[in-house]
Amino acid sequence: MSRVLQIAVFGAMTVAVPAAITYAHHSGTMFDDKKQVTVEGVVKEFQYTNPHSWLLVDVTNPDGTVTTWGFEAEGPNTLLQAKIRRSDFAPGTKLTISGFPMRDGRPAAAWTKAVRADGVEFYPRGRNPGIQ
Amino acid sequence: MMRVASGFCVAALFASALVGVEAQDRPQQPAAEWRQKHDFGLKYRTASELYQALRTAARGGKQNPPFSELPDWSGLWTQAGGGSFVAPGPAGIGPTLTPKAAAAVKEGQALAAQGISYDENLSECGPPGFPRWLVIPFLREFIVRPEQTWLSSETVNNVRRIYTDGRGHPSPQDAYPLYYGDSIGFWDGQKLVIHTSQLMARSMGRNQPEQSEQMETVETWEKIDARTIVADAWIYDPAIYQQPWYLQRRYSQVANEDKLLRMNYWHCGENPNNEVYKTPEGNTQYRDFRFTPSDAAPQAPPR
Repeated sequence: MSRVLQIAVFGAMTVAVPAAITYAHHSGTMFDDKKQVTVEGVVKEFQYTNPHSWLLVDVTNPDGTVTTWGFEAEGPNTLLQAKIRRSDFAPGTKLTISGFPMRDGRPAAAWTKAVRADGVEFYPRGRNPGIQ
Repeated sequence: MMRVASGFCVAALFASALVGVEAQDRPQQPAAEWRQKHDFGLKYRTASELYQALRTAARGGKQNPPFSELPDWSGLWTQAGGGSFVAPGPAGIGPTLTPKAAAAVKEGQALAAQGISYDENLSECGPPGFPRWLVIPFLREFIVRPEQTWLSSETVNNVRRIYTDGRGHPSPQDAYPLYYGDSIGFWDGQKLVIHTSQLMARSMGRNQPEQSEQMETVETWEKIDARTIVADAWIYDPAIYQQPWYLQRRYSQVANEDKLLRMNYWHCGENPNNEVYKTPEGNTQYRDFRFTPSDAAPQAPPR
């Protein structure tokens, strides 16, 4: 059964300085980098497009309905440098995926991490990203 | 099943990250070198004078040099940090801004602190233009030929052409504003020296001041090791700077062993999920997403 893990994280002191996400086409201010949303689901489509890519994931809600979430990343050349190929997320791939959620509550996020059912991890923005 | 859990993050440190790419970059240049090159620019009243001084020092420089004398800048490159248009350089010295530019910087910082940012150029698939071109991310490719050098970037598919065939700029009477200006240059050994004029009045970046048509620049480009190209840039624009401003940018070669990375054409309208608009507050927001067939007819917010 798919499930949604909504992890609210708030500011805390730490010595780690994140690598800021680079948004060249547009600002990333629509995403809330003080929160993380994590969902489990199945890949619907990997829109491997410029200047931003979208990994669409079908998530089954507690009531049995399905919500399609969109996880945004940079374009193909940036994803390739992060070792993420289009074929890594074929439709039907089961995964757990995380990101900075939209501030307005729509089911979308700036993609930060994905773990496929086979345990392989993907970090499209490095292991410690922040919004820029 | 849904659950909410408290967590630990670095969010408290993100506030200052809500600024342009330019201001985030860490200076890598030694302070003494930065100071020397900054002060060198102060000796010349105009970019043309600085360019001519460099040309004189290079004994006229070379135009149309044979291929055998040109450097190898092949491969793919990406920006690797360096100075900013408005932030202090490595020596701790900032640009002497005009009152108008200083006010624009202050306003931009206030907006950034509120998380408000919209890109009047790139969000609508417009070109970054020059000198913003120096600091934009993503892949670059440099094509060096005797008569001209192409400095290209995949961001909105741009190419700067640097003519090294001996031509000058168009006459002032025939000049007209261009996003990337008009660039001529010469070779000083393995170093490319560039003079750029005919630039367009427009924003230098998100929450940054506006450059004017009076802006002119001088750059020197040189490969300092197998994986690094350094560009020194002196910017003259009386609308922004009361004195010429100097910054250095670095470009690193991108590993591409499997040859999958390629310069590709991209357009912001390629995927409707990437469409953004400017909110009444001046911020950036996505239009309605098209994640499912039922999303096919969105109620788009007004432009």
